[in-house]
Amino acid sequence: MSKSLQKRLRVFTFAVVFVALLLTARLAWLQIYKYDHYLVQAENNRLRDLPITATRGEIRDRNGISLATNRPGFSVSLLDLDRKKAAEVIDYLSQTLGIEKEEIQEKILKQQYKRFAPIRIANDVSPEIVAQLEERAMDLPGVIIETQPVREYPLQTLAAHVLGYVGVIRDYQYEAMKAEGYRFTDIIGQAGLEATYEQYLRGQDGILRVETDRFGNRVRVLERTEPVAGSDLILTLDARLQDIAERALAQVIADLREKGNTQASRGAVVALDPNSGGILAIASYPAFNPNTFFQDYNEIQADPDKPEVNKAIQGTYPVGSTFKLVGAMAALEEGVITGNSRVTCLGVKSFFGRDRRRCYAGTAHGSLNVVGALQKSCNIFFYEMGYRLGIERLAAYAKDFGFGQVTGLTDLRGEVAGVIDSKERRSNFMPGDVLTATIGQGHAITPLQLANYAAIFANGGTHYRPYLVDKAVNSQGKVVYEAKPEVLKTLPYDEKNWEIVRTGMEAVTEIGGTGSVLRTLPVKVAGKTGSAQVSPGKISHSLFVGYAPAEKPEVALAVIVENGGLGGDGGVPVAKLIFEEYFAPQEEEA
Amino acid sequence: MFDRRLLRNFDWLLLILVCTIVAVSLLIITSTTINITGDPLYFAKRQLIRFAVGFVAMLFILSIDYTYFFRLAPIMYLAIVAMLVAVLFIGSKGGGAQRWIDLGFFELQPSEFAKLGIIISLARLLSAQEGNFEDMSSAIPAFFHVALPMGLVFLQPDLGTSLVFTVILFGMLYMAGLRVQHLLTYAGIGLAIGAPALWLLLKDYQKKRLIIFINPYLDPLNDGYQIIQSLIAVGSGGLQGKGLFAPGTQNALNFLLEQHTDFVFSAYAEATGFVGSVILILLYTFLILRILRLAFLAKDTFGMLVCIGVAVMMTFHILVNIGMTIGIMPVTGIPLPFMSYGGSSLMMNMMAIGVVLNIGMRRQKLMF
Repeated sequence: MSKSLQKRLRVFTFAVVFVALLLTARLAWLQIYKYDHYLVQAENNRLRDLPITATRGEIRDRNGISLATNRPGFSVSLLDLDRKKAAEVIDYLSQTLGIEKEEIQEKILKQQYKRFAPIRIANDVSPEIVAQLEERAMDLPGVIIETQPVREYPLQTLAAHVLGYVGVIRDYQYEAMKAEGYRFTDIIGQAGLEATYEQYLRGQDGILRVETDRFGNRVRVLERTEPVAGSDLILTLDARLQDIAERALAQVIADLREKGNTQASRGAVVALDPNSGGILAIASYPAFNPNTFFQDYNEIQADPDKPEVNKAIQGTYPVGSTFKLVGAMAALEEGVITGNSRVTCLGVKSFFGRDRRRCYAGTAHGSLNVVGALQKSCNIFFYEMGYRLGIERLAAYAKDFGFGQVTGLTDLRGEVAGVIDSKERRSNFMPGDVLTATIGQGHAITPLQLANYAAIFANGGTHYRPYLVDKAVNSQGKVVYEAKPEVLKTLPYDEKNWEIVRTGMEAVTEIGGTGSVLRTLPVKVAGKTGSAQVSPGKISHSLFVGYAPAEKPEVALAVIVENGGLGGDGGVPVAKLIFEEYFAPQEEEA
Repeated sequence: MFDRRLLRNFDWLLLILVCTIVAVSLLIITSTTINITGDPLYFAKRQLIRFAVGFVAMLFILSIDYTYFFRLAPIMYLAIVAMLVAVLFIGSKGGGAQRWIDLGFFELQPSEFAKLGIIISLARLLSAQEGNFEDMSSAIPAFFHVALPMGLVFLQPDLGTSLVFTVILFGMLYMAGLRVQHLLTYAGIGLAIGAPALWLLLKDYQKKRLIIFINPYLDPLNDGYQIIQSLIAVGSGGLQGKGLFAPGTQNALNFLLEQHTDFVFSAYAEATGFVGSVILILLYTFLILRILRLAFLAKDTFGMLVCIGVAVMMTFHILVNIGMTIGIMPVTGIPLPFMSYGGSSLMMNMMAIGVVLNIGMRRQKLMF
């Protein structure tokens, strides 16, 4: 062989060695230098952590009655699909589950950046559909059926506004909560206690770590971490009283409508334990059914009575004569009057020279002390008090009683503060406006504030923080949260003056009082009626605040029937039905 | 008639290298196909039978003096062209191309056998022209010789195999004595005309493969998928590999595609790691160096050129196939010699080894 050919042959040899070195170098890069990187990718390929949804904690009333519980159900999820079969599978799911194809695709797209977790397509799927899907499991790679506890409210609409409801996590919620381990298809508390106590109720999802092949078929189970159920909530709420209150409110509103008051369609009741601040009942009418909130959503949204709003903590109202207790207390405390001071009501009186005011329907109540004035709800007497006190002092007392600020309920979101009408609030406050303010017009007050106000009279000056959740007990039976009655404020008023006002409140339910129909109840009730004027052409709101039994108060109550008329038309009848049934002699338990 | 000296000059090491690689391939084919049919050895058995057939073919080739192939070369060439024409009309389709002739018991891939046929016929053409490569134009007959079968393969379409022909042509022209500057000029002209023309002629999926190879993450769920999964398989194999029959591998869970055919190296590298990969590359390197040695020892230019052709062909196959699985070459349907599952490729390679061994065995002019 010639020299030049030998040289050329050597070039081939070098070329072959070069190719070998090139491949070896690249392999070293991939298999040694980048090994960790590719190992993680290989693990991501094959490992799927399927969540095992934890059972949500139950919610029970103070006597252990179940208000929110769970029933077994199924959800359908997708693991990443084989791209060749994706369209077919999505088609089938869309038809079977009755979900738009676009919706499924959107969910898949959303998960794209994290395509190793299952995407939940449908919640609470019926057993028939589950059976159908399982039959076709072989044709539906990547489709997985998970058992999923489904939230259930066994008493339907009862305490709907307190309990709230659960629903799929919304985008903005997911953004805020994903750090806590939420997945974008999780079901979370969306309102009421379900939302505020989400952290306690949710529990800890378990994990089923499986190995899957390219088609999403499960090859083997590698590891199983059991879920931990959420904590149960034990409420201060008394389901029996709650039920009574809701029925009473509905009954009275139905009666009013039957009698021709078609404006009456909304109302609220709040019952507090005056000795602790524990909420015994919160009724807001109309209500919704938390079991079907999302199915009924359009209907609920279209309802002018806004069933989804908790009027007890979010509705603000002028409260009419129920406010007179503030004027009475302020006048006594400020020494403007004593228990024996009398004012003569001739049915009409002028203040500030030309400001001529009338008693309700021009009635002349004659000479009244403060007890009598409360009993009859005499406007002239209280105009006089307002005149003597002035708005600054009146507003200060209103503030003492918790108006114009939140009562401190943190167990539910969105308690509103309302306003006290005063000079502070608006610059065009006229001297005569103090008269109107004394009889409860111009303020914006929530039913919860009213109930708290009744409780303060019942317990002699203590403003407890209202609360709903007594304790949370985890799945091991350990108490993980416990509420204690919390005194937010104590009003340092003279015990004598409390006595005088309470006597006036008791007189209200005696013969001659505006709430005299309450005298026939098994227990003595102390209270104050109210009728708050609203816009022209609208019937007044009908209110009642009070407590019972008068001698040893157990329940402080506030009732408002919007556009219910006089206090005796709505507020009082509701209170009567509630107290009547709640304090009825209990049948001996076997 | 069979001379003892023939056996003395027989390159046993080359044959052992081939058999070792085939043995490795049977293991990895079993590992990659274990769950496809009820019989875990179904594919391995079939490949073994093909190896046996290829071995017999090799023995047959060894029994004939290779100078006989010199005489047969024109007939081979015509047969190849005829088969390549036939495949365009009666070929069965697969993967967007028309590459196979169904013989009932065997799916014949003429383009595989064409490689060997071209090597032999081109070696005859170039050796006939021996010592006459001073002019640039001297290479023109060789270009025409290869252009026809190459064009036919390109029509299937099979870009990879047509590239193999080109590389064989250039390698053999170089060894035949064409000047380097002439070769470079041809390469330049080829690129200047060929590249744009190619781009116009290529099917969309072929273009996409070429682009995706540069960055598979452009399309990780579709065309980039194969490359990405292959990189993951190879990379996650690490230094020592996951084991041939380990559960939970990219191979076992089917994240790899074509893991017993074109991407067999990915499964192999995953199973045996860097150590195994380097061992295989060393086996290939020795195999080809052995063929180059026989090229050096060959008694005539024809024999030398055939060996060079076979060496170039195999080197290019190894570079492009393994390069594809480790992301330094675009995805083409070029199999890995002796490793990829597939009858035509294995048999052609066995026959090629037969021809090379034949040349080595008959390197001494025999005196009677």
